[in-house]
Amino acid sequence: MEFFDLISPLFVALVFAGTVVGIVFGAVPGMTATMAVAVCLPLTYSLGLANGLALLLGLYVGGISGGLVPAILLGIPGTPSSITTTLDGHPMSQRGEGETALRIGIIASLVGGLISLLILYLFAPTLADFAIRFSYVEKFLIILFALTVMAALSSNLLIGIFSGFLGIFISLIGTYDVSNGGNGEYRLIPPGTEYWLDSGFSLLPVLIGLFGLAAILEEAEVGVPEGQKADDIKHDQQRKFSLSIFKGQLTNLTRSSCIGTFVGILPGVGGSAASILAYSNAKTFSRHPERFGKGEPAGVMASESGNNGLTGGALVPLLSLGIPGDSTTALLIGAFTLQGIQVGPLFIGNNPSVWNAMIFAMLLANIFMFVVMYFAIRQVARIVTVPKQILFPVILMMCVIGAYTINYGIMFDVWTLLLFGLFGWLAIKLRLEIAPFIIGFILGPSAEVYFVKSLESFGDLSIFFTKSWIAVLLWVLIVASVTGSVLLSRRHARDNGAD
Amino acid sequence: MERLTAVTVDFDTSHLLFPGIITVVLLLLGVMILIQERKRIAASGAYWQAIFTRMDKLRFFGTLAATLLYFCAMVPVGDIWPNTGLGFLICSVFYVFLVGMLFLHQRNRRSVIPVVLTALIAPTLVWWLFTELFYLTLP
Repeated sequence: MEFFDLISPLFVALVFAGTVVGIVFGAVPGMTATMAVAVCLPLTYSLGLANGLALLLGLYVGGISGGLVPAILLGIPGTPSSITTTLDGHPMSQRGEGETALRIGIIASLVGGLISLLILYLFAPTLADFAIRFSYVEKFLIILFALTVMAALSSNLLIGIFSGFLGIFISLIGTYDVSNGGNGEYRLIPPGTEYWLDSGFSLLPVLIGLFGLAAILEEAEVGVPEGQKADDIKHDQQRKFSLSIFKGQLTNLTRSSCIGTFVGILPGVGGSAASILAYSNAKTFSRHPERFGKGEPAGVMASESGNNGLTGGALVPLLSLGIPGDSTTALLIGAFTLQGIQVGPLFIGNNPSVWNAMIFAMLLANIFMFVVMYFAIRQVARIVTVPKQILFPVILMMCVIGAYTINYGIMFDVWTLLLFGLFGWLAIKLRLEIAPFIIGFILGPSAEVYFVKSLESFGDLSIFFTKSWIAVLLWVLIVASVTGSVLLSRRHARDNGAD
Repeated sequence: MERLTAVTVDFDTSHLLFPGIITVVLLLLGVMILIQERKRIAASGAYWQAIFTRMDKLRFFGTLAATLLYFCAMVPVGDIWPNTGLGFLICSVFYVFLVGMLFLHQRNRRSVIPVVLTALIAPTLVWWLFTELFYLTLP
């Protein structure tokens, strides 16, 4: 199917609807872009791949962008990726410049989104072309590298690695798939549960449980704090907004967007890392670092261009290697699975029109995000007042319908949702890392196939070190990420000890 | 050296090879975490006690209980009117209402009306969308 056949009024309408709903999810504290994608995933069943992705990419861009609204107006990050936006955005709001801060954040989000989109468009096909030549050995090492990078960026390296391996372990429950060259035998299945666990746990109920139900249980645990009242939101009383505030900030915007995109390319690293890194760099290179944290517009620009830079970056490893860049793009794998398409190095080459449609959807989503948020700023600001007692029960219901319909009506998937919702809540309490767990769960079956087939083909463990220069390079990167993390955590421990 | 690293994979037992390795790695990591986090683990009793003390038990366990009830009731109710999705619709109306009420902070007429309306409209809309428009089976 040609690109222009995929672009229809429905396609554009879905991007728009996705962006608006995403903004709502992002703007309500406690709800995230990941949750938006998880909840709306079942709606894509009957839409086809291009239209389904149009909706989900709109949700992704809108969800990441919407987080700036409560971050600035209330000092509560709507999504984890807006944490650093609160540092300068909220002080600006407190001194009566809330709308100015919002407009700065919206423009910076647009810049970040567009730069990352450009990098995605240029970089993903090149990486995919390169990755096509990878054998099972390199593919296995890439998964190992993805897991170590995620673990290295976790708050605790050991727990990060443990979480990733736990995800792999749970993904192996079920039959060793014959279609992947397995022997069709059961493993890791408790006696009596073979009927339900024959194919293991389905991906989507697991994801919806971890990101939908678990988040609501977290809110229920703290009593579902009441939303803000409309009167709590202060609007600017003074001058009109001027773009001159961006004078001298081109470097900051470009650097922060590139940092966000780079962080997005690293597997499993979320928007919070992107915005924190972009913000700390902006502060380091600023002529007035002392103004940061007190309402400095450059801080809002860095944070928001950084977290929106993540959107394109996170799609690079997904579409070129089949490895999700963050938890939201992990959910996008679910959308591809629903349509029977496997993402990986062959995806772009085999589906050029879908690839172009995705780029176009991302471009539209960024433009719609800007138009909706910039020109309806006061209405968007009111989203933070939407009552959770209305939203949360509906989200729970959507989670259930998503889990139930994934395999065309299997109640076990609904119970999986509950099981992993509870596990997600417990994991947060136990300080397990959800991102490495998810990536481990998604990539576990592939890791097994690549590992076992490598050994079956070559009959020697040393092949993982000697197969090619890429294998050697990947080992260097794996060791570097683990060593770097260990050194960093020791420095932190030393600094804390000194304090 | 080559002999040391040589491996023969038996196809009949190949389904246990990778899970076995992952299990060993998990056990090793578990032991390392136990050693590294021994102080925190020793103090975990107080940690969990604090969580349960601070917890809004009514809302947390109420949500869990309502969800359990919702899941258990959906199929039996749906079996009364097979292939219509009414099990989902009817149970969802009660569930959305119940959880909405549970999450309300002030239960007066003004705040209950939106909850009732949401409980009636949202499940009906979703039910119509999935059964009539998408032709998907609901319980």
